[in-house]
Amino acid sequence: MKPKRNPDVIWRHEQRREQQLLEAAERGEDISEGGTVILVVNGTMHQLNLLGGEIWRRCDGETELAAIVQEIGAEYEVAAEELEQDVREFLVDLQQRGWVTDA
Amino acid sequence: MREQNTLLSAPLTFNWTLSFRCNFSCSHCYSREEQVPELSLAELKQVVDILRQKQVPFINFGGGEPLIRPDLYDLAGYATAQGLNVSMNSNGWLLDAGAAEKVKAAGFKSVGISIDSAEAGLHDEFRCMPGSFDRATAALQHLASAGIRTTMSAVISRINFRQFRELLQLAREHEVKQVYLHNFKCSGRGFQNREELDLTPEEWKDFYREALEVKQETDDLSISFDDPVIASLPGYDADPLVKGSSCGKLSLHLRPNGDITPCGFIPLVVGNILRDDFDTLWNESPLLLKMRTKEAKGKCVGCGAYEDCLGGCTARAFAETGDFSEPDPHCWK
Ligand code: SF4
Repeated sequence: MKPKRNPDVIWRHEQRREQQLLEAAERGEDISEGGTVILVVNGTMHQLNLLGGEIWRRCDGETELAAIVQEIGAEYEVAAEELEQDVREFLVDLQQRGWVTDA
Repeated sequence: MREQNTLLSAPLTFNWTLSFRCNFSCSHCYSREEQVPELSLAELKQVVDILRQKQVPFINFGGGEPLIRPDLYDLAGYATAQGLNVSMNSNGWLLDAGAAEKVKAAGFKSVGISIDSAEAGLHDEFRCMPGSFDRATAALQHLASAGIRTTMSAVISRINFRQFRELLQLAREHEVKQVYLHNFKCSGRGFQNREELDLTPEEWKDFYREALEVKQETDDLSISFDDPVIASLPGYDADPLVKGSSCGKLSLHLRPNGDITPCGFIPLVVGNILRDDFDTLWNESPLLLKMRTKEAKGKCVGCGAYEDCLGGCTARAFAETGDFSEPDPHCWK
């Protein structure tokens, strides 16, 4: 699968927020609710957490799911097998919402 | 300080008044009495360049009447070519079939038409413009025929608060996808005419209760309120990104000379987009900091809704009391 963002979804990567969340994670705080990518879909705003944002930014229609898992795993030093299920589930959810398609 | 800590890198929307000039003279207008020099097209394009650089995704042209500036199409085309999403709010008077085609060619994502009553006579009277209802509804048709997504905006006031269902019906008849029921703001002419136009807090509560119920039952039309004072009512859908007023947190307003204000209803200037460094204004403006870090005052202290409401509409509190943190005068609690 090569996930591709729906071009009608307007989005922005919030780098400063991401940096703040990474620092909070270092301090051992729970950052699962913090948004690093903001999406606007038909006028409604949503935010994706750190992992969601990492996946979303790679949904360019050219990168294979396996490569996405590899890249994120390497960046956060997590084994690909541990990540794969989470990435798959997240993408299924995005597909169901119509925000991502399989290129 | 939570709001400031989670602040976005830039606003998501710039509400942009290109000119305070208008071909109408409405009783609730916030801007009709204002006069400021206007930027040239070249300067307006420089502003667009800054917005693109700062990754601001949305521009909404308002006014005054945006179509009063004939170079609106050029500017909008320039902005869409840079990847920005452009919309506008218009009274519809100048939007005939030819204009709708130009709107399409300029790449507008959607156009909102202001209609304050489903009764033609009442709308015309309120807008002091005979024939304006017919022109506004015709504009909706021209836009729909040109393939433009349309929205409808009504400012809720004494003249229409009991008939908002008729406004929704009117929207359906004209293929409108979204209706904004704007809360009445006490600024400009709206402030002078507030005795006549504004509802009492109890009436606001009843209106919103009913409107929120209708919103929940409606699936063929999206209904928006954008009024944080309703946070204590059942059916309120909390914004995932910010609490309280979104001005100065998700959006900013540009005046015709490039001055930035938190919103169109707060006449305090944060700085100028062409003269000042935008990041410094956005991150450090004492005015914006103050709006983002309100502290509960008066009856807001101890109110269970404060976490979502943050004292309601900051512009209304400021217009009445001169203090951002005072409770919204529309609050019924
Ligand atoms: S008392 Fe203050 S916080 Fe509570 S609903 Fe009214 S304005 Fe909002």
